[in-house]
Amino acid sequence: MARIACFVEKYNFLDSTETEALQNFRHAAERMGHSFNFLFKSNISEIAKYDAVFIRATTDPLYTSYVVSKTAWELGLRVVDDPKSIQICANKIHLYSLFEKFNIPRIPTMFLTKEEFHHKQISEIFDTFGKPVVLKAPYTSFSRYVERVACETSFREVARRFFRKSDVLVVQKFMPTSFDWRVGVLNGEVLYVCKYTMRKGKWKHGAKLRGKSKFIWGRTFSIKREHASARFKETALKACSIIGKGLYGVDIKEINGEYIVVEVNDNPSIYAGYEDLRDKDLYEKIITYLVN
Amino acid sequence: MPHTVLVVSNIDLIKNTSAMKPSTFLNTSVSDHILNLNNDYRYMKMGYYVSLHAEVLENPVIPRSENAIDAYRHPILLIKASKHGIPTLPHIVTDSAKQIIKEIGFPAVVFAVNPFSNGGFKIARSRSALYRALRSFGLNHKFTVCAQPLIGEIVSVKTIFGKCNRHGSIGEVAKKFYEIFRLPICKLHIQQFEEKAYLSGIEKLDIEEITQTELRLISEEVFRISKIGEKYWLE
Repeated sequence: MARIACFVEKYNFLDSTETEALQNFRHAAERMGHSFNFLFKSNISEIAKYDAVFIRATTDPLYTSYVVSKTAWELGLRVVDDPKSIQICANKIHLYSLFEKFNIPRIPTMFLTKEEFHHKQISEIFDTFGKPVVLKAPYTSFSRYVERVACETSFREVARRFFRKSDVLVVQKFMPTSFDWRVGVLNGEVLYVCKYTMRKGKWKHGAKLRGKSKFIWGRTFSIKREHASARFKETALKACSIIGKGLYGVDIKEINGEYIVVEVNDNPSIYAGYEDLRDKDLYEKIITYLVN
Repeated sequence: MPHTVLVVSNIDLIKNTSAMKPSTFLNTSVSDHILNLNNDYRYMKMGYYVSLHAEVLENPVIPRSENAIDAYRHPILLIKASKHGIPTLPHIVTDSAKQIIKEIGFPAVVFAVNPFSNGGFKIARSRSALYRALRSFGLNHKFTVCAQPLIGEIVSVKTIFGKCNRHGSIGEVAKKFYEIFRLPICKLHIQQFEEKAYLSGIEKLDIEEITQTELRLISEEVFRISKIGEKYWLE
């Protein structure tokens, strides 16, 4: 019997479908004879009591979740997400540098440093990618800190905001699609496949309505993993292989029959009735990976 | 053909050692041993991205990006340091004042674990001071803090390639810290009690804090490393 700690924060229980997914993990672990306890930030000094740690709180090297991951790793525990995966996936500069190095099919991308942040460089970017372009802070997640800009004024305004935390930013060609594929991958195998759609008039899965602070999301449709084409799955697995053997969510655009990787996320969302709809065994597979 | 050493620096060196600017380096694809000199190696700052770029190019680099992240994540700094034989004091990571009072007591030294603080620490000698520290470093209890007992005085030393202006146990901690984390330039917070020294925290060094004497020391060390070449990466 293994003792599994699931590191969560209060916000992981705000959405009933996420709460249900967390309970599904617990039931799967208990059915398999393991214990599964939620670990909050007030009791992370208890990590050493466990055999494996499963992180569901949002990951970033600057968040407590990284401290949890690295502590578990240093103690020799099995941990999902492992610190290396967090380091790569949570920083898009790191991720896209590896995409380029390993020739992963990707959106045309440039990096912008504070020193290059001037009129000539911005003009060159618009000349190369056309208008609009997409500006991304390296720490983007859940569609946040990714903005479309169509003129130098808005480029400067957004870049200045993103430069507060990072000395380098990502600039990408704008390639709109009505949905992104999301492929869940664990240890080099496809776990689930779904489509994350964009709401009408929006270009991201998650977006704010004009004048509102609340985020709204597009719809999620699942397909059985065996129904996805081999070439599609190969693209997702290749993108994950340059990062590690953990749990990832790969975002892929399908444009003119070609598959283009948008990004690979560690700590992918798993909500009951959405990602797990067609492949319900994902809970057992993740628990099995954690304890083996 | 032997590899040379490429110095990438945001600090103007005073000895005749050539150095590349960090933003220039990010646009190159050189194959070399990289010595990344920067006053700030914190995550997402230029010092971090230089090490990252060197690693993506598969160049041996000082410091490694992982060490830059870990040194500035306070609980990880302590775990890793202790694992490698650097004296440290016990610590807890929590957002609960009660837990700190119960397990650490007073006086306690509190470090931030939130993504926004630039380093530094607060000393809590009373319940109210502890609540203030938690509110400030925990950003109104949204984030955890790292707390340790305060058993002596905290000495802050500027450390350059593991050298500082203090000898004895403090000098030993600075030296060992460089051997493990390989951050050439930083400020260390070390607790001193009787003759013993314990690594407590780290902070970036502002460029304005680097004196002419220290600049000379940095330049001499860079010159020495350039002469040793790739063997320095094996030390």
